[in-house]
Amino acid sequence: MGNGETPAIDVIQRRQFMKATAMAAATAVAGGPPYALPVLADEPADGAEGVEWNKAPCRFCGTGCHVQVGVQGGKVVAVAGDRNAEVNKGLLCVKGYHVGSALYGSDRLTKPLLRDGDGYREISWQEAIKTIADRVEAAPERFAFYGSGQWTIPEGYAAQKFMKGGLANNHIDPNARLCMASAVTGFLATYGVDEPAGCYDDLDACDVLIMWGNNPAEMHPVLFSRVVDRRSRGEQITLIDISTRRTRTTEACQHYLEMRGHGDLAIANGVAHLLIKNGTYDREFVESYCNFKVPDDANPNLHGKPISFDEYKKQLEPYTPEHVEELSGVPADQIRMLGDLFGNPDLKITSLWCMGMNQHTRGTAINTLVHGIHLLSGHFGTPGDAPTSLTGQPSACGTVREVGTLAHTLPGGRVVANEAHRQQTEEFWNLPAGRINATPGFHTVKMWESFCTPTDQGGEIGTIWVQVTNPGQTLPNLNKLFNPKGKRDAGLADKFLIVSDVYPTATTRLADLILPSAMWVEKNGIFGNSERRTQQWFKMVDPPGDARDDCWQTIAVAHELFERGLKGMADRDGRFLFEQKQDDQPVPIWEWEHYYDINVDEGLFEEYRQFTRMKHKDLAPYVEYVNTRGMRWPVVEKDGTWKETRLRFSEGYDPYVEEGRGVQFYHSPTDDDRAQIWFQPWVPPAEVPDEEYPFMLCTGRVLEHWHTGTMTRRIPQLNRAMPGGYLEMNEADAAAHDLENGDQVKIESRRGSLVMPIWIHGRGQPPEGTVFIPFFDETVLVNDLTLDAIDPFSKQPDYKKSAVRIKKVS
Amino acid sequence: MIASVVATLEGPPNATARLLSSLRALPGVETGPFDETTRRLPITIESPTPMALEETTRHLRECRGVAFVDVVFVHFETEPEHPEADFR
Ligand code: SF4
Repeated sequence: MGNGETPAIDVIQRRQFMKATAMAAATAVAGGPPYALPVLADEPADGAEGVEWNKAPCRFCGTGCHVQVGVQGGKVVAVAGDRNAEVNKGLLCVKGYHVGSALYGSDRLTKPLLRDGDGYREISWQEAIKTIADRVEAAPERFAFYGSGQWTIPEGYAAQKFMKGGLANNHIDPNARLCMASAVTGFLATYGVDEPAGCYDDLDACDVLIMWGNNPAEMHPVLFSRVVDRRSRGEQITLIDISTRRTRTTEACQHYLEMRGHGDLAIANGVAHLLIKNGTYDREFVESYCNFKVPDDANPNLHGKPISFDEYKKQLEPYTPEHVEELSGVPADQIRMLGDLFGNPDLKITSLWCMGMNQHTRGTAINTLVHGIHLLSGHFGTPGDAPTSLTGQPSACGTVREVGTLAHTLPGGRVVANEAHRQQTEEFWNLPAGRINATPGFHTVKMWESFCTPTDQGGEIGTIWVQVTNPGQTLPNLNKLFNPKGKRDAGLADKFLIVSDVYPTATTRLADLILPSAMWVEKNGIFGNSERRTQQWFKMVDPPGDARDDCWQTIAVAHELFERGLKGMADRDGRFLFEQKQDDQPVPIWEWEHYYDINVDEGLFEEYRQFTRMKHKDLAPYVEYVNTRGMRWPVVEKDGTWKETRLRFSEGYDPYVEEGRGVQFYHSPTDDDRAQIWFQPWVPPAEVPDEEYPFMLCTGRVLEHWHTGTMTRRIPQLNRAMPGGYLEMNEADAAAHDLENGDQVKIESRRGSLVMPIWIHGRGQPPEGTVFIPFFDETVLVNDLTLDAIDPFSKQPDYKKSAVRIKKVS
Repeated sequence: MIASVVATLEGPPNATARLLSSLRALPGVETGPFDETTRRLPITIESPTPMALEETTRHLRECRGVAFVDVVFVHFETEPEHPEADFR
C-alpha cells in the first residue's frame, strides 16, 4: 500500500528513472525467451520512488492477464504487464494498459441512493441494508439475485449461499447466462463435466488454429498476439477464421471462411462427413474413447439417445461439401480444406470460440459438434490438439461455472435437482436437512420476464438485486425484458430493483436503490479465467466515499435478516450462516469497520474449496495462490507441493487419469469413461431476413471497450479512440440505399428501433445483407432490437441473428 | 506520461530497416535494440498527456510492417485525467 505521501523527488530524475524502468521492462519482454522470461525487478520502481507494487489479474476480460499495480499516496499510479505471469508474459492490451484509470472516473458512485419520486436521496448504509432486508422478509420467494462473471469467487459464493442455503430460493442467475451458458452445456453433453480440457499452452503448440465465430484480435488480444508472435518468429502456423464478417482477426489469417448465420452447424457436419468418407477419422481413438449420440426430440435433454457408428455415419451422409456450401455459403473447396486438415494426424489443431458459437439458438448443438470433430479426428488430448472455449468476463469460469451461481446449480458441479447433491451441500454448509430447494430457479431471460410482468398477471419476481453487471444494456429485447420497469403504466409499481455498481449505468437508471461498490484492487479478490486458472489479489487502495465490497453488502443483509430471526440465515446449530472466527471468537464482519479485521475472502474460499474436489476441479489452499500468478485446476498436492494441470483427461498430465488408460473421460455422462460424439442437424436461425426486414443484424464488441463500456468509456483515451456506437455496413448495400459514411440511419426490428450513424466497411467488413452494431454505447442500445429467442438447453439468447430494416434519416 | 510497448515487426529486412528509422523519428519515441529472433522492438513513449500517448500508440499500431503492439508498462506521471465521459 502507498504511504499516503508523495516523496519530494526531482522531477527530471524521476522521469529518467521511470523511463529507464519502462525501457528495461520492454527490452526484457522483447528479448526474453517466450516461455521463461527473466523476472523483471519485482518492484519495477523501487521503494525510493514511493511506489509500491503488487500483483492482480486485469479487471477486464477472461484472458486473465496479470498486471503489476503501482500504488502511491493511496492511488493507483502505474500499471505494468506482469512478466511472471504465464498468461501474458508481461504484455497487456490497450484496455489492460488503462485498467488503473478505470477506478477514477469522476462520477463514481459513493453513497447509497434511494429513489424519491423522480430523483434519489442519499441514505445511510444502515437504511439501505434495512430496505433490502424488508423486501426479502416480506416475500423471500419473490426475491431474485442477478449476478455476474465479474463477481469474484468469494462474492459469488456468498450470494449463492445466501440464496440457496439461506432463503431456500434458487432464483439466482448470472449475466454469464448471456455469454457462455452454451459452452457449459456443450462440455456437459460431451464430457459430463464443464470447462476446457486444454489451456493457453495449446496456442504455443498448435500447427493450425481455427477460430469459430471468434475475433480474438479484438476480444482476447493478448492471446492472439501470442500466436501472431509465433509466426513473426518464422514458425509455421495456419490461422483460419470462420465468421459471418471480416474482422481484424481475418487480416492475420491465411484462410477466411465466410458463412451465413448457423452455417457453423453445417460446416462441422461437413467436416465429420469427410473424415468418415475419406477414412481419415481416428478409428482407434473413437473405438477406445467415444460413444455416439443424437438429440432425443421426444424428451429433449443433455443425454440424448445413443446411436451406433453406422447410424451416425448415415446421419452425416447428406452433408457433402456441396450441400454444406448451400447451407452455409462457404465454398465446398474450403470445406474440403478443413476436412483435409482434420484428417491429417501429423498436425496439431486447436479450435477457439467464444460468443459466435455460444450466442446461438443452437449453441449447445454447435458446441458439441466442434468437440465432436476433434474427438472423431483424434485431435484431442495432446498439447496443441484441443477444442477450447474462451470467456468474455474475468471470472465467468471461476465464479459462475465453478461456484455454480446458475439457477439450477450448486458449487462444485452439483445441481439442485439431485437429492444427493443437495444433501452434500447441506452437510458442507451445516444446514438442516431439506433446506435446499429442489426446483431450479429462473434463468436470466425468465427472471427478467417475470420481473417485467405485473404481479397480478403472474410476474412472480418482485425484487431483483443486481451486482456487478448491467442488464439494462445487455439483456436481449430490452423493450420486453427491462424497459417496462421504467414505464408508469406498465403495472410494475410494486416491483423493486436494487443495483450495486461503481458507476451510473443503463441499469441504475431504473433502479429503486443504488449501492456504491468497491471495484478491483479496492477490495480483495479471486478470479478464475478461461483456462481454469484461479488468480488471487489483495486490496491495494480504499474505495471512494462510502463505496463498499459487494461481498460485504450480501453478508450485511444476511446478518440483518439473521438478527430479525429469519431462520434460513442460521445453520443447524443456530450460528450465523457467514460466521467467521479469529482466535475462536466470531468477528462481526457484517459491520464494515470490522470487515477487513480478517481476510473474509480466505474464509469463504476455504469453505468453498471442499466442493471443488467433488468433480475433480480441486483448488489449492488460499495461501498457495498468494504467491503465484494463478494455477490451473485440478491442483493436487504431490510430494508437498501443489501442482496444476495443463491438460485434462490425458495420462501424464491429469493426475486423475488412471495409469495405462491413455485418455480417460472420468466424468463421462455414460459412466464408461467415454466422451460423446453428437450428430446435430443443421437448422436455420430463429429469425431470418425477409422482404420486410431484409438485413441480418449481428452485435458484438470492439477492442477499445469492455462490454457495456461502463468502465472503458470513462477512460478518456479509450472513449476518444472509439467514441460511439455505429452501424457497420457493406459498401454495396450502402450504395443501394444511397447511404454514405456518417449518414444517420434508423434501424428497426420487430422489437424496437434506434438511430445511429453508419460506417461503411468500418472496423470489420460485413458481407452484403449483414450489418453489425457494437453494444458498448449506452446512448444507442442495440438490445432494443435483438431477439430474445434462447437455446433450449443452455437458455442462452442469440445476439448475432436478428432481422432488421434500415432507412436513411433525413 | 511514460509508457513502454513492444512492437512485433513483420516484413523483409530492408523494409524493417526503413520502418525502424521512421519509428525513431517519431516525437517522444525511443526505440531499444531490435531483436531479430523474436522480431520484437522495445519502445518507450514519453508524452505530455495521456491522449497524446494513446495517439502515438495508435499510430504505431497502424504503421505498415507493425504486426502487433503490446503494452508492457504505463506510468501516470501526473494525476490521471478523469473527466466525465462525454456521453453523459
Ligand atoms: S487481453 Fe483482456 S485480460 Fe489481457 S490486458 Fe487485455 S483486457 Fe486485460
